[in-house]
Order: sequence, then structure tokens, then C-alpha cells
Amino acid sequence: MKHPYTPITTTQAAIMIINYMLGAGILTLPRTTVEAVNTPDVWMSIIISGLIILLIGFIMVKLCRRFPGKTVFQFVPEITGKWIAMLISMAIILYFVVISAFEVRVLAEVTNLYLLERTPTWGIVMGFMWIGIYLISGGLNAIVRLFEIILPITIVIFVIAILLSSKVFEINNLRPVLGEGFMPVIKGLKPSLLSYTGYEIMFVIMAYMKNPEKGNKAMIWGTAIPSLIYLVTVIMVVGSLSINGMKTRTWPTLDLMRSFEIQGLIFERFESLLLVIWIMQIFSTFTVTLYGASIGSAQLFKRKEILGAMFILVALIYFIAFLPNDVNQTFALGDFLGKVSVCLFAILPALLLLLSVVRKKGGQKK
Amino acid sequence: MNIPWKKLILFSVSLCMLFTQTGCWSSKEIEDLGVYVALGIDVAEQTEFEKDVNAHGGHYPKENNITATVQIVPKDSSKSNSQQGSPSAGKSYFNEQLTGDSLLEIFRQFALRRDRPLIGHHLKVIVVSQEISRKYSLEQLLDFVLRDNDIRPSCLVVVSDEKAIDALYSNDPSEIPAFYLTGLVDNSYLSNKIMPAVSLAKLDATMQSGQSFLLQNVISYKGEHKFSGAGIYDSKTKRHIGTLSQTDLEGLSWLQERPKGGVIKTYDARTGSTIVYEIKHTKGKIIPTVHGDDISFHVKVESEGWFMEDWAVPEIPGDEDYIHKLEEEFKKIAEQQVKQALDKMQHKYKVDVGGFGEKLRIKYPKVWKKVKPDWDKTFSEIPITYDIKIKIKNQGSSTE
Repeated sequence: MKHPYTPITTTQAAIMIINYMLGAGILTLPRTTVEAVNTPDVWMSIIISGLIILLIGFIMVKLCRRFPGKTVFQFVPEITGKWIAMLISMAIILYFVVISAFEVRVLAEVTNLYLLERTPTWGIVMGFMWIGIYLISGGLNAIVRLFEIILPITIVIFVIAILLSSKVFEINNLRPVLGEGFMPVIKGLKPSLLSYTGYEIMFVIMAYMKNPEKGNKAMIWGTAIPSLIYLVTVIMVVGSLSINGMKTRTWPTLDLMRSFEIQGLIFERFESLLLVIWIMQIFSTFTVTLYGASIGSAQLFKRKEILGAMFILVALIYFIAFLPNDVNQTFALGDFLGKVSVCLFAILPALLLLLSVVRKKGGQKK
Repeated sequence: MNIPWKKLILFSVSLCMLFTQTGCWSSKEIEDLGVYVALGIDVAEQTEFEKDVNAHGGHYPKENNITATVQIVPKDSSKSNSQQGSPSAGKSYFNEQLTGDSLLEIFRQFALRRDRPLIGHHLKVIVVSQEISRKYSLEQLLDFVLRDNDIRPSCLVVVSDEKAIDALYSNDPSEIPAFYLTGLVDNSYLSNKIMPAVSLAKLDATMQSGQSFLLQNVISYKGEHKFSGAGIYDSKTKRHIGTLSQTDLEGLSWLQERPKGGVIKTYDARTGSTIVYEIKHTKGKIIPTVHGDDISFHVKVESEGWFMEDWAVPEIPGDEDYIHKLEEEFKKIAEQQVKQALDKMQHKYKVDVGGFGEKLRIKYPKVWKKVKPDWDKTFSEIPITYDIKIKIKNQGSSTE
């Protein structure tokens, strides 16, 4: 490789998962879950889905541990044989590409609506993607280092902004608890599970971890922090806007920020701040997925250099990002992605693990 | 000398890059923008200007349904000189009025009249006149405002007795009516005659939930304003159906567990002199009870406050007995207020604007689901009992 990497630490792996998970989803998560649940109990769905994801994550880590130093694209052929592996790898790469495109599109939609109304969309997207390319060409370590800077900023600003919204918070909007029994909570699992996509990056980065045996730890932290952020967001949004008030809002989390003004602080309004950090988060999701896809294609076609693959993929991403005609189609794409993610990264790892145990492939050899 | 060409080129290229990196694509100087801080919605009434222009062919196809007023700050300083002598000279804002049938179209119509584009980021208050909200539902009137990406959901909504444009006019040239109105809302901790602020976000939530609701009413007379009472909006039509008076609001505030401030005034039974109690702290609870199909509510309120004014001559020493007697007197007044407010809600207008439905929803979600579609009607026949306790904690700085 042109850019030799140093193995990443457990914390860095966790940071990567967190940055991947926190993406476009949080801006719409409260609405999608409330639409499904229809009672204020959405926060329970969030907690339960977090736990489910953790379980899936453990399976994934277990699988990766059987093939130390190998990414999913390298070890799947050992389990299933060349042709099926080719299919699976292609599916994963395509998934990464589409998710990357989805993030780009959401970024374009939101900035167009709230920040830069008259700036042409391609102007926003181009700058965004070029910086992404620049970052990825620095290799895994450059990405991780940037994420280490982004994450604390995100969390600090997020905590400040969300706590300030307590001004309009009303606990009555969250009551009654389980007023219609437990069924609504179950219904809410689907949309909230979708917002947890991101743990799948472990398929790739486990190979580059310094201590792969601590993969579970990275998984726990990587799921716990987004869960907490999602939980707080949903509670604050439901508590402030009430379930009736937010069902009709396109971007409820932003509308929460827009529904109060604070006098006396340096800033009166916080939606721009929130937008800025979410743009950083969308950027990180975009880069991780693009990186994953590039690595995948490079390894699939037995290339050492990921740059070539990356440039082709970027063009593809740009193209896919502008496929949906409107916001609703964009949301539908997001929904579809979530479903694919469940198949690819929840069911598949379990199958692969089973298969690898049965066929005695991999395993901890000394 | 060996010139480092490579470095030089690199340097000049980066220098050129700098020029492309600065500035924003769609940036606009704030001085060149028409920032509107208030929006008034009235029944259509064309201004002289509009009539003139239409007569000269400046007409576009529309129905005259509403008149929108925007209050723009700061007033364009270059124009104020030329307008010397006009009634708005010297003011720090100006009101613009246009008539039409779509808010957005009216807004865009301003672009044909003013060089400075309107931006809605700083809209603070929307005044809806009673008359227009009797004709159209609030959902219709505010639909654009809720969709617009400039206008923030933190914007306040009030209803005006007379025309909305009157509420946006002020005698005091240094005062901007929009800020004045939002300032009044912030006073709700001083008087329970002011409703808690209703922002667009909150209004949207209540409208979606299908409950009847109140909006703060503002009365204007010759450029002076006063908050008085509240407009009642029906749950189904979202139209204005009546008004609660100031006293009704006071009574209602007891039911909604919210008086943080405010006074109770009564007259001493023996001497007939004015005595005043200031509310400092209130703890209230609406307790719904369901027996079979019978729903009933009990309201329990405990208020603590100070005894702040006594006109009795000669002053009666504030011993225990006397204080208890006073507490009774104040309690009577509070109960009277509650009774009056309940009577208006249950019998005159037959709407629940006191948050009773909300309590039922939380305590008995299943019952609520059943009665929700026709709640206002059900509510008007539900027995409500109340129990108010008043405790005088303090007699101010004077112990007499």
C-alpha cells in the first residue's frame, strides 16, 4: 500500500462506529418512529433497538475474530466460495455506495432548505465530496484522526443545544407511559432499528484494529453513545413538540431547535449550530461509507491502490444521490436502505458465522 | 540563481485558489434586506395605493380574501428623509399592506414594490384579527407560515379584537410594536390575566391534536395596546368562536395550575375596604375520575402568597384570626372566578380550553380514545368540583 497504516486502537474503532451511525437519520428519527408508534412511548423503542443492535454487533465481531487481519471482502470467499462471495461483496459495496449517496442527498436537502437557499445544489455537494476524497486519500489513519476531532465537538454542541431546548419541554407530552400497551413500542422497532445502521463498518475496520480481541468493547461504546444521543433527542423532541405537533414536521429535530430562542446568551438561535455539527456527522458517514466501498472494490479486484476505485465510486455516488426526484423519494430510499442493512448485516453475519463454524473455516489459529 | 519554479507555481496557484474560496454564494448584506418582525392578517381591505395601481392596470388575477401587513425594521434611513411630514416619519419601523388570496403570493408581490427583499428569519409575532379567523380556519391562514423555511416555529401568535394592522401601529415612535407585543407576553409571571405564550410550534401541536384552544387577545385603541382576555378557537373548525374575558382567564389560570403571579382583590366584609393578595406560588391538580361511563373532574389548588394591600382604616393588626378570615375572603373570590370560567367553557361556548381532556388522556388513555372525537360536547356535561386553598405566608414589609 502506498499509505501504510498504523493499526487503530479500540477507542478509535468505537469513534468510527459512532461517527458512522450518527448521520442523516437523527434529523428525521423522531418523526419516523412516532409515525409508527403513535404514542409517546417511542423512547422505549429506541432503547430496545439499541440492545438488539448490540447483539447483532457481537455476532459480527465474533465472525470477524475468526479471520484476523482480514476484511469481510477477504474472508467471505473462504467461507462460501468464490462466486457467492463475489455476489455478497458486490452487494455490500453497492450498499455502501448507496448509503453514501443518500447522505449526500440529505445534506443537499437540508442545507438548501435552512442554510443556503439560493446556492445551487451541485455547488454544495461538490465541495463536500471533494473534501471527502481528499480525506480518504490520506488513508484510514487520517480518517480516524479527523473523526477524533469531530466527535467531541459534536457531543458538546449537541448537549448544549438539546439542554437549552428544555425551555419548551413539557413532561405531559411524554405521558401516559404505555397508555396503549406494549404493542406500539414493538411497531416502533423497525424505524428505530434503521437509524442504527453503521455498526457494519466493523466488517472492515476489525481487520485494522490493534487489539481485535477488544472488538466487543468497541461495539458496546459504538452503540451506547449513539443510543444515548438518539434517546435524548427523541425525548426532547416529543416532550417539546408533542407527538401531534411533530408528525407534520419534515425535520422535527431541527424544528425543535427552531421553536425556542434564548435571550442573554451569545447566541439566540441554535439551529445553525446544530446544522453545522450534523453536516460534520453526515460528512463522516459519507467518508466512512465511501472508504468502505473503495476498500471493498479494491480488494475485490485485487488492487492495492484504493484511489482509482474511489474516483469511479465518487462519480457513481453523485449520480445516485440525484436519482430521487423529491424529498419523499429520498426518505423512501433511506427506508429501503435500512431494510437492506437488516438483511446484509443482521441476518448475513449470523449465517456466515454458522457456516464458518460448520465448515470449520477460520478460527483462532495460533 | 536557481529559481524554484515548482514552488512558485504552487504558491501562485494556491493564491488564486484563495479568491475562489472566500465569500458565500448567495450572501446578502443585512442592510439590503427587509427584515419583517411582525405579520398581521386581516380581512381584505385594499389600501388607497392598491386601488390606484389597479386602476392603472397594475392588477393581477386574484381574489381579495386577506390583507397581510408586514412590519419591517429598521425603516430604510435613506427613504425617511423624503417622507418627511408623512404620519410615519420618525418611526423606527414601517408597515406594508397588500391584499390577495395567498400569503406567499402577497409576499412575493412585495418584491415588485420594495428593493429590499423580505426575509422572515426574525418574525417575532403574528397577529390574526378576530374577523378573519371567524371566516377562515387558523390552519388555512397559517399554513404558509408553518411550511415556510424562513419563519421559525418560535414565533408567537396573538389574536386582535379589531384589525390586526391597528395592533401593529404605535404612537410612540421609538417603539416597535412587534417587540412590544412579545415583551407583554413575557410579563405572564406578573399577572395571571396573561396567557402563557403560544408559539407557532405549540399552536401547530394543539391544532393537530384536535383540541379547542385559546389565543391571547390584544385590544388596540389609537396606537395603544392592551392584552385582554383570550380568543376561543373551536377544535373542529379552528375558527374563532368567542372570547374569554380577563377575569375568565384568571379563573382558568387556577384550573391550569399555572398562576405564578397575579393578584386577588376583594373587599373586606365589615369595612368594605380594598384588600389585595398577591399570588406567589400555586400547586394545583386536576384529578379525573372515571366510573363506568361517568367522567368527572376534581380540581385541587393550593396557593401561597403575600397579603400586600389593606385599605382598612384604622388598620387591623394582622393576627392569626384576621389572616384566616382574609384567606377565606380571597378563597371566595378565587372560587367565584373559577366558577365563572367553567360556566363560560361548559355552558356558553361548550369547549374545553382548560386542559381537562389532556388530564384524561394521561390518566385514562383508553377512555380518552373513546370520548376524544366528541370531547367538547361531552365535556360540557361533565361535573367539575373544585377546592381552592389560599394561604397567606407573609404580609410584606409591613407587619401592621
